Amino acid sequence: MNTQDIKQNDQDMVPGRRKFLNTAALAGLTGAGLSVGLSSCKQEATAPAAASAGAAPAAAPAAAGHASSVHLAPGQLDEYYGIWSGGHTGDMRILGIPSGREITRVPVFNPDPLIGWGITNESKAIMGTKADGSLRYTVADTHHTHASYKNGTYDGKYAWINDKINGRIARVKLDTFECDRITEIPNIQGFHGIFPDKADPVDPAINYTTRVFAGAEFSIPLPNDGSHMDDTSKYRSLFTCLDAETMAIRWQALIDGNCDLVASSFDGKLAATNQYNTEMGAKYEDMMSAEKDACTFFHIARIEQAVKDGKFKTYGDSKVPVVDCTRESNKDPKTALAAYVPVPKNPHGVNASPDKKYFICSGKLSPTATVIELAKVLDYFEGKLEDIKTAVVAEVELGLGPLHTAFDGRGNAFTTLFLDSQVVKWNVEAAIKFHAGDKNAKYIVDRLDVQYQPGHLNASQSETVEADGKWLCVGCKFSKDRFLPVGPLHPENEQLIDISGEKMKLIADHPVRPEPHDFIIVKREHIKTRQVYNLDDFPNAIKDPKESGVFRSGNKVTVKLVSQAPAFSLREFTVKKGDEVTLILTNLDKVEDLTHGFAIPKYNINFIVNPLETKSVTFKADKPGVYWAYCTHFCHALHLEMRTRMIVEK
Amino acid sequence: MKALRLLSAIAGKLALCATLLQPATTLADTYEVKLPPELATSPRMCDYAPCKDVIPGAIAFSERKGQPWYVEAYKDEAGQKKLLGYVMLSTDITDIPAYSGKPVVTLIGMDTAGKFTGVKILKHSEPILLLGIPESALVKFNDQYLGKFVGDNIEIGKSRPEENLIGLDAITGATVTVIAQNQVMMTSGSEVAKQVGILKPVNRPQARFPASTATPSWAELVADGSVQRLTVKPEEVGLKSDGRPYMDLWFGYLNQPTIGRAILGKDGYEGLMGRLKEGEHAIFIIANNSMDSFKGSGFVRGGLYDRVQVRQDKDGFTFRDLDYVNLWGISAAGAPAFNESAIFIIRGKGFSAAYPWKLVFLGNKIDKETAAKTFANFDKEYWLADRYLEGGRPVVVKPDPTWLKVWKDKVVEIVAFTALLLIIAAAYASRDKLVRRADRKNKWPVNVFKYTGWVISIGFVGFYAMAQPSITQVLTWFHSLLFQWKWELFLSDPLIFIFWIFIIITVFVWGRGLFCGWLCPFGSLSELLYKIGQAVGLKRFQFHLPQALHDKLKWVKYAVFFGLLAVSFFSMGLAEQLAEVEPFKTTFLVGLLNRSWPYTLFAGGLLGLSIFTERPFCKYLCPLGAALAMPTTFRWFGLRRKDECTSCKACAKGCGSLAIDTKGNIDQRECMLCLDCMVLYYDDHACPPLAQERKRRTKAGQPLTPINGKGYFIPIHPLPMDKNSKGVEA
Repeated sequence: MNTQDIKQNDQDMVPGRRKFLNTAALAGLTGAGLSVGLSSCKQEATAPAAASAGAAPAAAPAAAGHASSVHLAPGQLDEYYGIWSGGHTGDMRILGIPSGREITRVPVFNPDPLIGWGITNESKAIMGTKADGSLRYTVADTHHTHASYKNGTYDGKYAWINDKINGRIARVKLDTFECDRITEIPNIQGFHGIFPDKADPVDPAINYTTRVFAGAEFSIPLPNDGSHMDDTSKYRSLFTCLDAETMAIRWQALIDGNCDLVASSFDGKLAATNQYNTEMGAKYEDMMSAEKDACTFFHIARIEQAVKDGKFKTYGDSKVPVVDCTRESNKDPKTALAAYVPVPKNPHGVNASPDKKYFICSGKLSPTATVIELAKVLDYFEGKLEDIKTAVVAEVELGLGPLHTAFDGRGNAFTTLFLDSQVVKWNVEAAIKFHAGDKNAKYIVDRLDVQYQPGHLNASQSETVEADGKWLCVGCKFSKDRFLPVGPLHPENEQLIDISGEKMKLIADHPVRPEPHDFIIVKREHIKTRQVYNLDDFPNAIKDPKESGVFRSGNKVTVKLVSQAPAFSLREFTVKKGDEVTLILTNLDKVEDLTHGFAIPKYNINFIVNPLETKSVTFKADKPGVYWAYCTHFCHALHLEMRTRMIVEK
Repeated sequence: MKALRLLSAIAGKLALCATLLQPATTLADTYEVKLPPELATSPRMCDYAPCKDVIPGAIAFSERKGQPWYVEAYKDEAGQKKLLGYVMLSTDITDIPAYSGKPVVTLIGMDTAGKFTGVKILKHSEPILLLGIPESALVKFNDQYLGKFVGDNIEIGKSRPEENLIGLDAITGATVTVIAQNQVMMTSGSEVAKQVGILKPVNRPQARFPASTATPSWAELVADGSVQRLTVKPEEVGLKSDGRPYMDLWFGYLNQPTIGRAILGKDGYEGLMGRLKEGEHAIFIIANNSMDSFKGSGFVRGGLYDRVQVRQDKDGFTFRDLDYVNLWGISAAGAPAFNESAIFIIRGKGFSAAYPWKLVFLGNKIDKETAAKTFANFDKEYWLADRYLEGGRPVVVKPDPTWLKVWKDKVVEIVAFTALLLIIAAAYASRDKLVRRADRKNKWPVNVFKYTGWVISIGFVGFYAMAQPSITQVLTWFHSLLFQWKWELFLSDPLIFIFWIFIIITVFVWGRGLFCGWLCPFGSLSELLYKIGQAVGLKRFQFHLPQALHDKLKWVKYAVFFGLLAVSFFSMGLAEQLAEVEPFKTTFLVGLLNRSWPYTLFAGGLLGLSIFTERPFCKYLCPLGAALAMPTTFRWFGLRRKDECTSCKACAKGCGSLAIDTKGNIDQRECMLCLDCMVLYYDDHACPPLAQERKRRTKAGQPLTPINGKGYFIPIHPLPMDKNSKGVEA
């Protein structure tokens, strides 16, 4: 698409499509996959279609040259880790960027037979079980993943990921890329947005992540115990804060409206969630009746002081303190725990700019993006800002269906336009000038068609002070004709865009199995993985092959085994029918990449043990006979011979 | 993965077949055998291990002692228990894994002098020794250690005597195993040797680094030696060049903050240092555009990186898979592109960056004809510059190179030998004076020097110092000129080196005769025997070959020389064997009685023949003589001749070398510079024209004026200069 075309698009097509929206959009949009419809574009259309593309504002210096090649020669490594949510597969995916190669999948909320997630006792303890030992949940829907910070950039310690279906948050350790904690959040449903803080609001020495914020979408009766189910006006959504280390819930905040996404400020003082349905409607028509929705800011220090002071409630069985952040209770800015910055109806996405100054909410149903200056929000809390509305320093038109925004660290923002199937590159300072009245300020820098209908996007290191403006990934929700068809179910299309130059350059399409939502792109230097485990990491480790054996206590039997390629330490072990068998396996091979598997036929058991790792499974020996347990993970020239015989006596 | 599984299936089947076909005992004696658990723990280690097998003569052993463990071995000496040496179990000392990722459990014996007395594998898990290579290969490999000193630099690959490096033959196809085994042997041996006082413990203080905010560029790092380059050419490993180097490595030390930050960037440096424990060190290596990988694949199953290691003095540091960290990139401006990179962590004790160390690259050299692989080491030294070390570089007393050590050790011999050469040369330079003092009956003024030269050459140079020059040196010299000149190679034997300088100079000044006739130990012995034969009354049996036959046979030695030279280009080894045509080795180096009979017969025969005919070997066979004879054509000073010599046969008759032809020309290539003809030249009783003139003057009552330099009486009447007065130098 040359400059001429883009110009046309900006001047003619955009108003054209807006007209279309005004008239007959509802059906089309619903069909296109949005879960809500819309009535009309209500924003005061003060901004005419923005400046012509191609004229770069002076404030956006062009980066030197193009990012490196997307094709990696054999032996070359990707420059970035891409940490992707998996959607309703319930997992996390790790991609290499820029190659787009999937390197691994991290099972989180859902069982995984490869590593034995949901099969081993250790993973079950993390996932949560019912009284009978079976898993409490086996479905999940992961949307958002963000990693821990130090000094405003990633420290490679943790990444968090949400489960929208069952309201859980999981933590993945980035040294092993394994989930180590899962917390189920009480009092909520439709847990959606998630973001760690980047510093402590009070103690400047804590310049790293200690909290994780979580926003819930669906309003529910509180407590949700079967009472008060008819009065939907009493339904509420809560905003939650967890401790990053313990994964315990620190507090929750009762708000008006619900939470879409979450952002946190670099100074740790503020967290925000953009909201749709501030009307608290239960049906979507009701959700769009008000003039404006809001981006709600939380004053973290005041909330935590309120918790300390005992100014909170609890609901039902939950012991979690819930503070009141509703508009009604927070009218005085000087004591307010929360502030509601009005933004156009049904916004989507809130993103913090790497210059630490702004949060940007996208309009979704409004073709605009709203730029909120954090300094002014803090002024409001100090009582220095008359009207919270003036914290909005820009509200400019970008195109149809703006959803999410990423940054290049050079003052430019990249926003997905869902309906236009475009990414628009715009300059934040120019937009602020334009909003302030300088109608000559040209804030649109470039537009690029993407295939098709992008949701989230993110740029390399975009959410950190190290935003480097090299690569932009766009999660296109529809791939249609872009890949070899594999039947009615299509993969998503993750598109890679080179943003090192002034113009965006579409570089590659990558199919991903449905359906990732959000992702981050982390410089490889920030991730420091472990090569093998430490025997001492596992209290039940069998450190010496001589400790192997079958140990009985009544009908409870413990089988201790070690693996050393190409053999298990016991050639056979015998249990009796009816025994409750706990099998503990330690992999004593201290060799990088020498993982063993352990499968027991007919007992539905498989798991792996990485070098120096210990895992255990517990099962009922209910089928007499001989069962050849074998190594399922290739390990050695004599891998096929690596077996042990489980004998279950009648 | 599928391929691997298939492979494993095949491998498994092969192993099974092999087991069925052969008795298990011969297949793999020690593969994954079950060792008694007490072996690893019991104080009485030798109750569970065949300690006696690794230290012959031991009758008793102590309990485990020391840190790390070893046991003492005792012998019986007149009813007394006496310390014989030490036995150690490798796994008590180091857990270096071999190819399988598991250590080769090795029992090692060492005597009180620190020499290995025995090596026995108790258990190994090397699949390669199960499936392809016989276990005996490892036994054979281990046998190479026997008698070697634990303090020596012993490495896989070629010996490099000029660098004090003893090479071991590897096992083709099991590099990782043997490199690990070498590391195990040397680490175990030296750990115990240090404890018992055989080796001085090396205590290198750790480096401290000065604070600096400089961020040097790549060019600056190269200039001050903070990154070094190790390049191996394809020819050096027996490969054809395709324009690329076989291996082109840049490497450097990363703990030094200025260098580390320049290479890795601030974050990268801090991240890496965060991973290191006290006493651990990181280096980086990058390679670009090389024909091969410096990582290889030996490390994959948990073994070692078998192509690169670090060496500091006698301490070797190998890397295993867990010592590897990704090198993401180089932030120093101007760094070269690379397609292979690594950060390796040196975890072994004793490494200090304050002292020099070497990166060692182990290459496979492929013999083009047999495709057999041999191993060749290449290394490059690295030492942080003064500015990167607090207090600058410490003083390092580097051991003298071997050649220098030898020169220092042999200083007396060197002085004596040099004196001998100078005296002989001085004597020969003043030959005019000496031959004038001598006459046909009394040649002692000349012979006193020559015979002294002979005797000293035979006794001191030949038998004592074994400094008999040989054609093999000429061949080596040719090869060095053509391929690679290494001074160390020639300097390693000082007498030979000095001898050769002497030979080269004198050949071009006077011809080869001074060496061959006066100083060659074998030549001297040969002619001395002839002289003795003469003296003890065997003269009547002594003979010369007829001149005509001699003139044909004398070319044989040239054929021998060119034959050897030609062979040497195909195989130096074969040429060296064929060079046994020189009886020197048998005569001086080994001794007539110490060799097998064909050699003794050959050398003895030549010497015996020498009693009856003068220098038969020198005349007809000696390739060294032939090699020296050719340049002798270009000598500067020849022997004097007179006009009458063209017709007079007096000298020719007396020439033991048969070097004077019918026209009276001396064949300088054959001449041994015995000076007999020069004695005659001034002898007015022996030289026919002189004698004639003497008789004429005596008859005519004319005075006998002194004989001038041209061999004539000084004329009484001044004559106009004419052709008759011209001295002839043939």
